[in-house]
Amino acid sequence: MARSSSTPRSRILTRALGISTVFALGVTLTACSAGGSDGSGSDDSGSGTEITLWQYYGDPDTPTGGPLYDFIDRFEASQDDITVDVRFIPFGDFNRTLLQSAAAGDLPDVALINAFDTAAMADAGVIEDLSERVDEWGEQDAYFPTSWETTQVDGATYGIPHLADAYAVYYNKAMLGAAGLTPPTTWTEMEETAAALAVDGKSGLAVSGIEGAEGATGLVIRTLAEGGDLAEFDSPAGETALNSFKTMSDSGAMSPGVLTWNEDDVKNQFATGQAAMMINSATYVSVLREENPELEWDVALLPKGSEDQLTFLSAENLTIGEGSENADAAWDLITFMQQPEELATYLPERNKLPARDDVPDESEDPVRATFAEQLQSAWAPEGDLAAVSNDVFTHVQRALQASLSGSSSTADALKTAQTGIDEALAK
Amino acid sequence: MTTLRQPRRAGPAGRPAGPVGRAGSAGRIRPRLSRDMWFLVPAIVFVIVTVLYPLIYNIGQSFFDVGIREIVSGGAEWIGLDNYIDQFGRAEFWSSLGISLLYTVATVALSLVVGMALAVLFTADFPGRNYMRALVLAAWILPTVVSANVWRWMLDGSYGLFNTILRGLGLIHEDVFWLGNPGTALPAVVIASAWSFAPFAMILLLAGLQSVSVTLYEAARIDGANRWQQFRSITLPILRPVTVTTALLCFIYTFKTFDTVFLMTGGGPGGATSILPIYAYDQAFNFFEFGKSAVATTVLLIVPIFLSIFYFRSIRREERS
Repeated sequence: MARSSSTPRSRILTRALGISTVFALGVTLTACSAGGSDGSGSDDSGSGTEITLWQYYGDPDTPTGGPLYDFIDRFEASQDDITVDVRFIPFGDFNRTLLQSAAAGDLPDVALINAFDTAAMADAGVIEDLSERVDEWGEQDAYFPTSWETTQVDGATYGIPHLADAYAVYYNKAMLGAAGLTPPTTWTEMEETAAALAVDGKSGLAVSGIEGAEGATGLVIRTLAEGGDLAEFDSPAGETALNSFKTMSDSGAMSPGVLTWNEDDVKNQFATGQAAMMINSATYVSVLREENPELEWDVALLPKGSEDQLTFLSAENLTIGEGSENADAAWDLITFMQQPEELATYLPERNKLPARDDVPDESEDPVRATFAEQLQSAWAPEGDLAAVSNDVFTHVQRALQASLSGSSSTADALKTAQTGIDEALAK
Repeated sequence: MTTLRQPRRAGPAGRPAGPVGRAGSAGRIRPRLSRDMWFLVPAIVFVIVTVLYPLIYNIGQSFFDVGIREIVSGGAEWIGLDNYIDQFGRAEFWSSLGISLLYTVATVALSLVVGMALAVLFTADFPGRNYMRALVLAAWILPTVVSANVWRWMLDGSYGLFNTILRGLGLIHEDVFWLGNPGTALPAVVIASAWSFAPFAMILLLAGLQSVSVTLYEAARIDGANRWQQFRSITLPILRPVTVTTALLCFIYTFKTFDTVFLMTGGGPGGATSILPIYAYDQAFNFFEFGKSAVATTVLLIVPIFLSIFYFRSIRREERS
């Protein structure tokens, strides 16, 4: 799509080529090829405005992507002017594709981005400042402070929270019942319970520890429970957290496989009874119910540490691409998607929770209630940490990998991570 | 080249060279030349746009402080050699380069040994030879995203085929996470990469083998040489140039490999398989340090270039002697 921009065309081309150049030396990204445009729910009527929306939830036929496409269909049915072309780009490729498009001056009108990346994207000039529109709209006070905080960059609003989700403990009722155990309420209990459940080649607790920011979540939660601050990871809190995971790994309570698992793999371990408990987000509630109806499981709040019991906010923000020609239409879509009654239909389909307090919830699902309760103690990076959260999580995850794999001591792993975190914060 | 020379021969001699135009002898030559040149334009443009420009841009970028903001809106600051000083002062950079070289050398060695064994096997005549050869080639043709994931599943600690076999043989008694252990992750990605490259080496070596005259082997047999002696004294020396070319090509392909390792381990665990392309990817797309990433990709470019120069020199020396 042609887009007017203040940047001269030659410079745009230069940057577009430049960003691709990082891989021009033969580094291929076969695996990471972005998903193609999907026209589902976006019949071009020919007359009105067509806007583009990029998301990483999934294709229309997946449990995570389908409800979003249905939501967009409802938006298109609600008015006659605007049609939406939805494009699915896998999570691992999303930011890269967005940056490449920004450099080429061809951003989508609406980008559904990871809430924690909002600051970095705003800083880079990829997304528009929505402050004026938000002031006029006047619904900002309906949002939970932690969710709203992720949209704030230097006092301006760069996104609208789409939904919220939190991490909690899924547990296999049959396995805990057979061992005469109950879900742990403290991390000390978690270490004991997980160790007791690790029998016959099974593990007690599964978390994702895979390379990259995704594998940091478990250790971040554990660190926060000790009152830790990620900016000062090399601290008694960080040490306790890392030692706790190391203890569980050494005792077999946690499988050495955690270092190779992403969140989907963790779900598979839990779904097949290989892991008695897992720390994961509510994303997998519907997946488990659909794919493993015979599995007996429930969800408990995260264990408490010595200081706190905070969870990791998992959320996306709706943003408008910088320089969008259809910013008004994009804003119409965003505000439609935030209407409480619309969210009331959409969110249960995805087993996600609202980021605002005025969404009616008639569900009596106890699992949903546990996640809602867990969300009350959600944590999100703020201030300087928010702008470089991806870097910081990657360093935290590397400490986990280095320590659990035995390639360095806990003290060295913390020190190396801290050096990286300090550099990131100094940017 | 012949088309360029022809008009010169055809043009009448002795006429004064006039201004460039459609009339006159020189005029007949030059438009023909420039017309021919136009046919080269697409190729030249293609090379400039897809190869030269990105290469030069990448090298240029390594001298600028390019973060996420500069990538999107421009205005990167020239910082000279600062990126190089920064990267060359980092243990992780050298560790990645070291792992890259280790990974590449091990993969090339394994590919060559297996490729040579397969090539020798397929020179023999046996039933189903052609089918088997085609089957072996499938490993090379298979998209990496498929082969890397298949390896990842086979080596998985909980459900992997590899562990099931080892358990069946009584060699292991508990789950071994081959890709989650720093000691086994690198050998695992080497084996997976060599599995794809060996058929490629085999094809090149097989072509070389087929050019070796059978009379040499017949003469050797008459002299009483056994199979191993024939291989060592005839096959290997004659195949030396082909082997060196194959090794060089395998080296270049392996040194720049990104997908196999990225899909299997992502560079982990604990950086055990963090080869230079993954290091460059992390710098660019995890830490948004595009200038520093460009240093790594420039090094990625320099190593194979030096090797190629060395190779062409040795070929020339060999030809001269």
